[in-house]
Amino acid sequence: MEGYAEYKVPDGKLVSVKVTYSDRIESLQILGDFFIHPEESLTDIENIFINMDVNETEGRITEMIRGIVIAKKIEMIGVTPEAIAKTTKMAIK
Amino acid sequence: MNMGIDEAVSESVRSGSSAPTMRFYRWDPSAVSIGRFQSMKKEVNTDTCKELGVEWVRRITGGGAVYHDLNGEITYSIIAPEGMFPKGIRESYSFICGWIIKGLKGLGIEAQFVPINDIIVEGKKISGNAQTRRKGILLQHGTILYDLDVKKMFSLLNVSKEKISDKMVKSAEERVTCVRRYSNAGIEELCKNLMNGFTEGKEYDIGKLSEEEQKRAKELSDSVYSSDGWNFSR
Repeated sequence: MEGYAEYKVPDGKLVSVKVTYSDRIESLQILGDFFIHPEESLTDIENIFINMDVNETEGRITEMIRGIVIAKKIEMIGVTPEAIAKTTKMAIK
Repeated sequence: MNMGIDEAVSESVRSGSSAPTMRFYRWDPSAVSIGRFQSMKKEVNTDTCKELGVEWVRRITGGGAVYHDLNGEITYSIIAPEGMFPKGIRESYSFICGWIIKGLKGLGIEAQFVPINDIIVEGKKISGNAQTRRKGILLQHGTILYDLDVKKMFSLLNVSKEKISDKMVKSAEERVTCVRRYSNAGIEELCKNLMNGFTEGKEYDIGKLSEEEQKRAKELSDSVYSSDGWNFSR
């Protein structure tokens, strides 16, 4: 299946998620007019999702993104781990 | 070519072969640039771009889609060691945007910085800005709107023609503004005032791209910024 959702981050930017999935996530792209530094690290965040159970909770997804943000010293501007997790769940529904 | 030039200059500033650089430029032909994380297909009507001779390119910086009309805007780039700027990215947006605000003030236009990366006049956006930092070098580029053709902008950005209703155009006009609405200055005069705002209190020389920068910019433009692999990567 394919899913797509958009979410305007409060006081931030627009984030959208494009996903293909069955019972697990097969591919996922995070799109939008936000800023992530370094830019290449968005791929590290997207890779978290590959093979993820589609029933994973929004809270757990947020934690996983936050983990990689801290580990890789990623700076997010206009987008948050919570917003990406929320948009992903919206796209899968 | 413009994105190739920005990257080539970044490399030469990093290697020490060029001094910190400010560029002021226009796009000929006109072009749409999209942010690093945007989808080209989703944001840009490339069929209309082809019809109107407008190019498209993905930037290395984040942010949103911008229509760079040849006669409707000025783009600037700042390329310098990041130690010359506030450490925080948000703070450095405010710092650099202050120079744009000074430049607009030279034309009698009172503008304000609005976080994250915008400059507004009377509540309407007149400038958008985007920054990246790579290996110690800060690159910030941005657009200052001189004139505005909302209908053309919407025909190039990927909004279905049915949606370019009067309501939508009016809504964009309410949110976006341009120098011509506040000043009779020509685009060259805007550029001169921006240069004054950017260079105030600084020592500078007016120069041109080195041969090496030109060569490298062409390489980057051909191999990256003109390629579908880069432009349609999302």
